[in-house]
Amino acid sequence: MFRRTALAAAALLAAGALTLSACTADPSTTPTATGTPDPNAEITVGLVLEPTNLDIRHTSGAALEQVLIDNIYQGLVTRTQDNEIVDALATGHTVSDDGLTYTFTLASGVTFHNGEDLTVDDVVDSLTAVKDDDTIIGHADFAGVDSIAADGDDTVVITLTEPNQNFLFTLTGPAGLVFKSGDKTDLQTAANGTGPFTLVNWTQGDSIEFARNDEYWGDKAGVAGVVLQYIPDFTAGVNAALDGTLDVLTAVDPTLAPQLDEAGGFTLTNGKTTDKGTLAFNNKKAPLDDARVREALRLAIDHQALVDTVGAGTTLFGPIPELDPGYEDLSDVAPYDPAKAKELLADAGVEDLELTLTIPSFYGTTIPTVLVSDFNEIGVTLTVQSVEFATWLEDVYTNHDYDLSYVLHVEPRDFGNFANPDYYFGYDNPEVQSLYAEALATVDPDASADLLAEAARIVAEDDAADWLYNGQTITAVGDGISGFPQDSINSRLNLAGVAVSSE
Amino acid sequence: MIRYALTRVALLLLGLLVASVLIFLTLRVLPGDVAQMIAGTNGSPEQVEALREEMGLNEPLLTQYLDWISGVLTGDLGTSLVTGSSVAAELAEKAQVTVPLGLMSLTVALVISIPLGVLSAMRRGRADGTALSVGAQALAAVPVIWAGMMLVVVFAVWLGWLPAQGFPRSGWDTPWLAVRSLLLPALTIGVVEGAMLLRFVRSATLQAVGQDFVRTAAAKGLTRDTALIRHGLPTVGLSVITVLGLQVAGIIVGAVVIEQLFTLPGIGRMLVADVGARDLPKVQGELLVLTGFVLVVGFLVDLTHRILDPRQREAA
Repeated sequence: MFRRTALAAAALLAAGALTLSACTADPSTTPTATGTPDPNAEITVGLVLEPTNLDIRHTSGAALEQVLIDNIYQGLVTRTQDNEIVDALATGHTVSDDGLTYTFTLASGVTFHNGEDLTVDDVVDSLTAVKDDDTIIGHADFAGVDSIAADGDDTVVITLTEPNQNFLFTLTGPAGLVFKSGDKTDLQTAANGTGPFTLVNWTQGDSIEFARNDEYWGDKAGVAGVVLQYIPDFTAGVNAALDGTLDVLTAVDPTLAPQLDEAGGFTLTNGKTTDKGTLAFNNKKAPLDDARVREALRLAIDHQALVDTVGAGTTLFGPIPELDPGYEDLSDVAPYDPAKAKELLADAGVEDLELTLTIPSFYGTTIPTVLVSDFNEIGVTLTVQSVEFATWLEDVYTNHDYDLSYVLHVEPRDFGNFANPDYYFGYDNPEVQSLYAEALATVDPDASADLLAEAARIVAEDDAADWLYNGQTITAVGDGISGFPQDSINSRLNLAGVAVSSE
Repeated sequence: MIRYALTRVALLLLGLLVASVLIFLTLRVLPGDVAQMIAGTNGSPEQVEALREEMGLNEPLLTQYLDWISGVLTGDLGTSLVTGSSVAAELAEKAQVTVPLGLMSLTVALVISIPLGVLSAMRRGRADGTALSVGAQALAAVPVIWAGMMLVVVFAVWLGWLPAQGFPRSGWDTPWLAVRSLLLPALTIGVVEGAMLLRFVRSATLQAVGQDFVRTAAAKGLTRDTALIRHGLPTVGLSVITVLGLQVAGIIVGAVVIEQLFTLPGIGRMLVADVGARDLPKVQGELLVLTGFVLVVGFLVDLTHRILDPRQREAA
């Protein structure tokens, strides 16, 4: 944490001309390219978080899904930047009226990167493995799957024991990916998918290289190759963009964005995400088991000022972000009101409250600093404990040994965490649990979303946590590059449509 | 002499054994484990437990240690729990970045420190000598990371002469690109280490000036500078060799920081990532090799010193 701050400070001081203004990226600007696309072009993309290994079947993590799904591996369905579900390896799909039977028609002429044809059995075997093998990611989401069977050469039928509104969405993730039956590829370091790119090389701690799959069954990728260069340090990333090493830099630190903006050669885009900057309250631990104390803490936070300080993002007052079903504006629930916060604390009989915030060290100091100062206003002393992520996982996530914690929860449609009393939030409300179960079992998407919205409002009104902001990602796209995705790119980075114009 | 060397080898092996125990135990103090890291925030407690069992993390500590150390004794440094790759193979691959970086840093440090250190001693009391001495003191106090930032801003961002980060994917197949990418990092470590070494060379030189044999030589008609260069500097050289042994450890520490800053795929960066991922078998192997390297360098320095300096042999 200290290191990153020191670096950022050094860069700011040294660059001199830098202004400390908030990000100036214009969300409406989309990079355009003039000239003819060059099919032989290769691009280098800077990313922050590197996957620990490439075995997407057994390792969880957004970094892995981000780069491998759509580009290398594909499932029957996938999702767009707006989290809409669309067909991928399926040319079409239907869901029966009772929500129990899903029928997919398989695209024809699909081949794996090793040249073998995709068959309906590959699909059935891949999905059956998720259902049967509890070490495969997504196994728990397949709990309600009754059967997976082929119907002829090009149809797959999945039946559920009860309707599940999230099932199709689950299929857009790692659980839905299709692998070649009996394939001997070592998935930890290599890949054999059906996607528009093939995996050329992975240098751990450095980069992943893709090449266009010229045998791809659909529209071929616009560039001949992509290098995903992992640069964990924000300042180093900006330097690499400035010295021409990178064509695109994702996850630009908002405080460093002006540097790229002023240097020219890049267009900054502001992308929506489902990242929820979550201030978790340990709902089971005194005095946070008292709703008045939790509400007081929420009212003490000036959310707009916090968003301004972070430099990118929007306020979010409930557990569901705009890109997920069930979103509604809940800003009326926790308006900034320190006076009322003090009253609530007095009401709860809490004096000289001292709390500890446990935060993984890579999140830096900006957010803790704002919280310390906001809580100080209402007489609450906040001690910040910055820990390594592994420590956070053990202490906070597993042992629930914390008062307050901060984590950016990036997964889309993860509202279910508030319906799980064993999750580290420790929030246990039977009404929310039953509404969530009902929402999942409701076949009509709109009715399901309404139920989610109702549950989300209860969670927000119970002050189960505070949602500090809904994150946005800034991407610096080099001149001449078009089609680079803008939204949700920290969970999906579909590069097939990227092109480079030759000028 | 042979007896001395054998005693030192025995001490070296004992040192390694103690280090292996310390490395093993201190890593076990760290909270969190690799099973939890792999399962992430979506994994169920059952999944984490199954992974832990599969990876042998539930075995008693003594069993785990004996498994590891018996592997090491047969030349097997183990495999990564995260990637399944061999620790030795990864070390060899990352050493292609870190070893040249270390050697280049050392060269920079020596090129800076020896002539300037001697000069600063010979010009003692004069303005340029004082400036050198004060300058070195200030530079030696600069954190490596700050020095690195400054060099990046000047040479990479402003002047655009050298890359700000990264190592060519083609590695040493494109030697010039590889050297170019290591220049700034090596300069960073070299300048800071060199400044420390400079101060040492200076004081060793000043000490040499006061030695009887230098004064005698001067009394015989040599100028003070000539007497110093001809008779005093060999003793300075001996002291520098001793300090170089310590510098090696400093350079390794510097490499950990600098590889992060310049995004170089070397041993330092691998180590940081592996500690973060709690890939303990890999970290153990890496630390043991690094410790062994520092101990061996210390051993060689001692031996060289003894061979070169007749006074030590007599004393024994």
